[in-house]
Amino acid sequence: MKQQEFFSSRWTLIIATIGIAVGTGNIWRFSRIVAQNGGGSFLIPWVVFLLIWSVPLIISEFALGKLVRKGPVGSIATTAGKKFGWMGAYIVFVSTAIMFYYSVVTGWCLRYFFSALSGSLFEVNDHLSYWNNFAAGYEPLAFHIVSMLIIASVVVNGVTKGIERVTRFLVPALLIILLILFFKAVTLPGSWEGIKYFFSPDLDIIMDYKVWLQALTQNAWDTGAGWGLIMAYAIYMRKNEDISLNAALIGFGNNSISILAGITIFSTVFALSSIDAIEAISQSGPANTGLTFIYLPVLFSKISSSGALNTFFASIFFIALFFAALTSLISMVELSTRTLIDFGLKRSRALVIVALVGIICGIPSAIDVNFLVNQDWVWGIGLILSGAFISFAILRFGVNKFRTEVINGSGSDVRIGKWYNFVIGILIPLQVLILIIWWLVSSVGWDPEWWNPFHTENAGTVIFQWAVVLSSLILLNRKIVNLTLKDK
Amino acid sequence: MKVQAIITMILVIGIVWGGLTFFLIKAMKYEKLKRSLNNDTEE
Repeated sequence: MKQQEFFSSRWTLIIATIGIAVGTGNIWRFSRIVAQNGGGSFLIPWVVFLLIWSVPLIISEFALGKLVRKGPVGSIATTAGKKFGWMGAYIVFVSTAIMFYYSVVTGWCLRYFFSALSGSLFEVNDHLSYWNNFAAGYEPLAFHIVSMLIIASVVVNGVTKGIERVTRFLVPALLIILLILFFKAVTLPGSWEGIKYFFSPDLDIIMDYKVWLQALTQNAWDTGAGWGLIMAYAIYMRKNEDISLNAALIGFGNNSISILAGITIFSTVFALSSIDAIEAISQSGPANTGLTFIYLPVLFSKISSSGALNTFFASIFFIALFFAALTSLISMVELSTRTLIDFGLKRSRALVIVALVGIICGIPSAIDVNFLVNQDWVWGIGLILSGAFISFAILRFGVNKFRTEVINGSGSDVRIGKWYNFVIGILIPLQVLILIIWWLVSSVGWDPEWWNPFHTENAGTVIFQWAVVLSSLILLNRKIVNLTLKDK
Repeated sequence: MKVQAIITMILVIGIVWGGLTFFLIKAMKYEKLKRSLNNDTEE
């Protein structure tokens, strides 16, 4: 099948890919993790891992998609060999499993936007009860379905008329809203204390290995590197499109937005919080919703003496969160759709299947927050394995050949040096190994029944679900690969 | 504000926002170059 559709320019490709990387994790998870890991002490390792995890993996995903012009199954089977196609299928499965519950989270953001806009968010005193009532009702399910339908209406139009057109509006709009919130936050009296904490390093904490592991995890989850999503968009790169410079722009652009969001949250909480600010930012709450859905609404009601202004700032915050979630969810739906297109299905039919499966498989997360937490735990760690599979495919292909012929091939603006061979060949596999062992060993410590696969967050549930998925995909490998590569 | 905080701020913002600006300028420069080369070829 000849590639017929392309992103219309370098800038639309970059904007769409920034849309993948910037999600709720930049606004919501980043601030919480910074607060839990000593503010400035966390930022230093976080920058280091941007350079030795995120950017090299984004480069690799761009190059694989551009080289093979197929999703992860075809890309891995072509570069690593047909017997490893299951690795690509695993990458798709993990991002699809995340899509099921991410659509629910997108729905929460949309629902809170309407609550803020109507003013009902400020009519309650107990925001935890407000959240619990919302989570226990039918609304999360309804908003999950609405989110999936919105995304389907975008992806059905393909890349140029659908994804490109929508992200060209959503990503700049998100950035403008974040800038408005940023300027409001840093001009609040007392905000400087938050900025000071955000950048103050504690030399004892910085030597703690856990801070480094959290920094790596944040980079792995937050930039979209290793998810297969960038690979799916890279299929539509023009032939003479650059890889390395675009990848650097996306990695640095994503982390720049995280800093912007972090300063905004820290300034707001330090300026307006009546309880200990660090405690307020660190609190997890159900499904880690504490800061965003329970505590920030309280703060928005205090941002000024004007009710209309408070409504305005709360509304634009939740719409920004919704836009961030939407642009990431679009790429997850596109990845699954593209995989079915590679199997030989037409886009419209593939999308109907993805949307229906997405709606059905998202129901458990929509009606039970514990199920969502379990899936976030299992497939969040699963993403790290996806990064390892990408690295493995490049090693099988020949990392030096990949660098010189594909990354530095036609259209490249800058040349990538031999450091890339070292990062992909040694550093990425080492980081994956350390991270997976650390997460699993830590979970043994906090759950005496660590082997029990029916607990929400422990080693047993990860090992059980991974084993089921990996063994099924290995068994189905030949069929999946033959379907994907039948035109080759 | 302590000196360490100022140094961290300069380092983090310098690398991340500075890096973004650096790569953005570079990308704009190459894009302009590619366009002018395309125009020359068409002429």
